Amino acid sequence: MVLAAGDVTDFLSINLTTIIATWLNLLILTLVLKHFLFDKVNKVMDDRKNEVAQTYKDADEAKENAKKLEAEYAERISGAKEESAQIIQAATKKAQLHSDEIISDAKREAKGITEQARAEIEREKKIAVNQIKDDITDIAFSAAQAVIEKDLDTKDNERLIEQFIDSVGEV
Amino acid sequence: MTDIGNGPKIVFELLDGKIQVTETVVMGWLIIVVVTLLCMWLTKGLKKVPEKKRQVVAEMFVNFVNNMVRGNMGEKLMYYSPYIGALLISAVLGALISMVGLRSMTADINVTATWAIMTFILITYHKIKANGLGGYFKSFAKPVAFILPLNIISEVATPASMAFRLFGNVAGGMVITGLLYGALGALSSALHLHFEMGSWAFSVFQVGIPAVLSVYFDLFSGCIQAYIFSMLTMVNVGAAAEEA
Repeated sequence: MVLAAGDVTDFLSINLTTIIATWLNLLILTLVLKHFLFDKVNKVMDDRKNEVAQTYKDADEAKENAKKLEAEYAERISGAKEESAQIIQAATKKAQLHSDEIISDAKREAKGITEQARAEIEREKKIAVNQIKDDITDIAFSAAQAVIEKDLDTKDNERLIEQFIDSVGEV
Repeated sequence: MTDIGNGPKIVFELLDGKIQVTETVVMGWLIIVVVTLLCMWLTKGLKKVPEKKRQVVAEMFVNFVNNMVRGNMGEKLMYYSPYIGALLISAVLGALISMVGLRSMTADINVTATWAIMTFILITYHKIKANGLGGYFKSFAKPVAFILPLNIISEVATPASMAFRLFGNVAGGMVITGLLYGALGALSSALHLHFEMGSWAFSVFQVGIPAVLSVYFDLFSGCIQAYIFSMLTMVNVGAAAEEA
């Protein structure tokens, strides 16, 4: 039986055109799906997967960095504490030394002043004694003149005076 | 009885009737056009962070096929994803197309046979690739020589059973639905509930009742058999590629 357009084929007829066309259709559909769907969607999903992985990696890195910085800062802070303690200690020592120096200076100065004063007093005393000696000499001289009413010769006079002064000086 | 138990209609002829293009082939073209347009629409403006529902749908489908291929064929054969996707879409749409009154594409033995032969070619290609040509022929005589005929039969039986399983399910559903239409039409006529106006005919019982069976024979059976066909292709090709 020759079939024409519009005719119905048998239920289980083999049609080579249909077979080849079906094969081509399947091939075309495969290429269409690959090009228009799978390649595009896979690319987007891969990109997303990579981005998520990258984000996680970045987050981990940032976390690690933060930890490192924290440790560094802790170390630095403990170092600063130590340093400050050292500075305070050094300053205390310096201050102690300074005050000691000041005290010893003051002591020395006071001693010098005392000694000077003592020497002054001694000197004044000596001057005063000498003054008194001179005054007494004058008084004695005038007194003796008055007593004797005559001029002793100079030699006797001086001997007498000196005797007198010595006796006075022993007083 | 119009088209119950008949093959597809011949839509047009080329080269003086040497090339007869049937409904089946036209349905295949229709599916290609629809799928192409659908794919272009679904993948319009893809973003790393999906903004539109259609991208989610596209990703769901791609992930579904990718996971099936990965699970059954392995990471090495992931390039089969588009082929398996094409098989699945062709088989599902080829069966569901009967829901809009057109003839199921997979109710044509030529189609299911072509797909099954394609699976057979892929199985053989991967077996030869994995074992070498000598290893491939030797594998028929394993584990003992006299089992050779059985091995050959089982090799041929795989695509044959696949082709007839899909064809039988869809064509059977089509035949049963056609018979049911005929029976309901006859019942309507007997109860004087059949109306005719020229070429236009209407039977009361033909409304609604066939839909119930159609849900099983067209929707359920069509999808399940499409899934089974794709699954068998994946499992058989995957197993062939792994054979040592």
